[in-house]
Amino acid sequence: MVISDAPAGAAFRVVRVTLAREVGKRLADMGFTEGAEGAVIRGGFLRGPFQVRIRGYDILIRRCEAAGIEIEPVGNWSGADGSPAFGRVGGRGRRGRGGRGHGARKRWVARTGGIGPAVADGKARG
Amino acid sequence: MSARTPLRIALAGNPNAGKTTLFNALTGAHHKVGNYPGVTVEKREGSRIRGDREYRFIDLPGIYSLTAYSIDEVVARDFLLDERPDVIVDVLDSTNLERNLYLCLQFQELGIPVVGALNMSDEAAARGIDIDAESLGAVLGLPMVKTVGPRGSGVDALLDLVDEVAAKVGAGGEEARSVHYGAEIEALLGPIEKAIDGDAAFAARFPRRWLAAKLLEKDANALERLASHADAARIGAMAAGAVAWIEKHFGKDAEIVISEQRYGYIRGAARESIRIVRKPDFSPTEAIDKVVMNRFLALPLFVAVLWSVFQLTFKLGQYPMRWFEAFFGWLGGTVEAALPVGIVRSLLVDGVLAGVGGVFSFVPLIVILFFLLAILEDVGYMSRAAFATDKLLHAFGLHGQSIFPMMLGFGCSVPAIMAARTLKSPRDRIVTVLIIPFMSCGAKLPVYVLLAAAFFPAHAGNMVMLVYALGVGLSLLSALAFKKTVLKGHPTPFVMELPPYRAPTLRGVIWHVWEKAVAYLKKAGTIILASSILVWAVTSFPAYDPSETERAALAATFAAGNPEAGEESAAAFVRAATAEVALERSLAGIIGKFIEPVFRPLGLNWKTGVATVTGFAAKEVIVSTLGILYRAGSPDGEEAEGLIEALAADPGFNPLAGFVLMLFTLVIPPCFAALAAIATEIGWKWMGFAVAYMLTLGWALGFAVFQVGSAIGAIAA
Repeated sequence: MVISDAPAGAAFRVVRVTLAREVGKRLADMGFTEGAEGAVIRGGFLRGPFQVRIRGYDILIRRCEAAGIEIEPVGNWSGADGSPAFGRVGGRGRRGRGGRGHGARKRWVARTGGIGPAVADGKARG
Repeated sequence: MSARTPLRIALAGNPNAGKTTLFNALTGAHHKVGNYPGVTVEKREGSRIRGDREYRFIDLPGIYSLTAYSIDEVVARDFLLDERPDVIVDVLDSTNLERNLYLCLQFQELGIPVVGALNMSDEAAARGIDIDAESLGAVLGLPMVKTVGPRGSGVDALLDLVDEVAAKVGAGGEEARSVHYGAEIEALLGPIEKAIDGDAAFAARFPRRWLAAKLLEKDANALERLASHADAARIGAMAAGAVAWIEKHFGKDAEIVISEQRYGYIRGAARESIRIVRKPDFSPTEAIDKVVMNRFLALPLFVAVLWSVFQLTFKLGQYPMRWFEAFFGWLGGTVEAALPVGIVRSLLVDGVLAGVGGVFSFVPLIVILFFLLAILEDVGYMSRAAFATDKLLHAFGLHGQSIFPMMLGFGCSVPAIMAARTLKSPRDRIVTVLIIPFMSCGAKLPVYVLLAAAFFPAHAGNMVMLVYALGVGLSLLSALAFKKTVLKGHPTPFVMELPPYRAPTLRGVIWHVWEKAVAYLKKAGTIILASSILVWAVTSFPAYDPSETERAALAATFAAGNPEAGEESAAAFVRAATAEVALERSLAGIIGKFIEPVFRPLGLNWKTGVATVTGFAAKEVIVSTLGILYRAGSPDGEEAEGLIEALAADPGFNPLAGFVLMLFTLVIPPCFAALAAIATEIGWKWMGFAVAYMLTLGWALGFAVFQVGSAIGAIAA
């Protein structure tokens, strides 16, 4: 599965970047590394660029770059409907366990909305 | 007390981290803007004196990494490596620390002391991000302090830390810490670093840690620099072996592994010192983007924003413009009254004041336009504009990122052409640079405004908008044509940060506008003044002084044609006729008549030909030249008359020709400064191509519009 397959609002974890060296390195520099969690915020008009949240900030990438980033879903994508909610629910769990619908979808925001996944995790443990 | 040695401090960091605002807070008014040697990337330098020490700051371009993906990164990297500042102040966006620290780790490898400025700390606190600066600094091994750029808070503490780290270097303190890549990679890096140390002269010039890490990242520039090492071949082989081992062991490219290790290291550090104490329950950025980046609204909104910018510019600008015009009219009258008739008065009134004054009147328009563009940029709208337009631009072979330079092109082509450097692929950069002149710059605006006011008084605003729109259309079509012919190639990646909306600081925007306004006034004071004097000279010499008999003959002809007219109108006719002849017999007249055959098929007279030629000095000069030419030839002779009325009254001109001149001004090559910028950025060959293309296109379009328009007019009549 790649980012361009994900619906707006879907949370994901990066598996790997399969793009050519230079772009691949740039995406890695920008934070797309294995295990990094993020979310697709919105797709563009007429197959335009995607807005993706990674490591707590937003980035625009074209469909062809989005198609080169392999991901695995986090949480339940059935709730993803193109209108990403902004974190109101403080999520604690590391992995979405699915089946929670809306709540699961909101959890990524809690983790990625601010400083990034690790930080929120740190709080969860502390 | 003797002064301590001045410190050279590089201000570096990610784009959108508030670097320039902090730079302004640090240096106050003491800064100057220049260029990095050899390239045209803007370089700001400024200083601050505190106690007995001078701090000299250099504002580096905002970058994400030291991998040299864009020219900005090359500039920053080369500055840090070759100029070796005493201290690097890394400006970090506290709301986005993970990615910002990624660059910080690379700075630490350079062997230059680094101080972290946790900027925008107020914003981070508001978002519920709690950062323990001391603990974060301790984990990463560099001193850190919280700052807020717009308020200038934390500046003193920052300078204290700069003093501290600078003193440690002198005292030969412990070696600066840097990122730990994990035991396996460190075991590979160690021997490479040791081997680099083998050549002492080399090791003194290049930081070994940085070089070793970059070699594992297969950085081409690092390899180039390694070539001067005495043992380059062996080190190169060691690095290649290490890369092969990493790729086999980790199962992915070594440069990706290095990135992952850096991010992993940051995660560890962040875990201990950054806490999310509270989740924001409302994000203004997200709320605004729901509308601004809505898939259906984004593009129409972008068009609406551009339209509003131009409407505001004209609506607000017309009042101060009138004041300027009135002021220069008054000044001209005063000088005229104070000086005796003669060459000095003519030079001052007909040359300097008519030329420079005409251009000065447009300062308010330029200032308002730059002000609005600066606000859009500071607010963070430009990335949204790229989002909205990327698909469209992509269809024409352009890149979404081309939208920044293109929009800047509405201000001035020179910085716009330079801004095209942010584009990664040379092909994209060349296409973007080639089409920027079609984005009507602020200097062409006065020409449009003048002609629209003279020939389309009822629809002046719409006519100007039309020419701007035609320029945008031509730029897109030209890009498509270039892509299909001379610049074939694959699309390049589009990777762009989308920063949150930020309230622009008044100070920042005013600085920005002030710099541009000063640059514009300097231009008016130098290039435009010089060309005004030149134009005045070629229109005044050789002097024509008709004899009494010639005057009498003219008066007699007039009296014969108009028996009822009195003495006075006869005298006026003689004055006008002699002025006309004087102009036609002047050097400008001779040159104009010589090139007139080129302009005639476009419905343009020799005066506009002369103005077009002088316009290559700066496009505003077209206005000042017409001002001088029409003033000298105006029927009232010495009495000042508005250029707009003079143009409208010229029987050799009509609205169609006026529109053709607007179009011609839009399409033909830009001013010399812009051409020089094009040559610097993409080479003389491409500049030659641009000139040939724009001359051909401009003439052909002008010809087609005038001939077709005339034919339609003839049929309609």
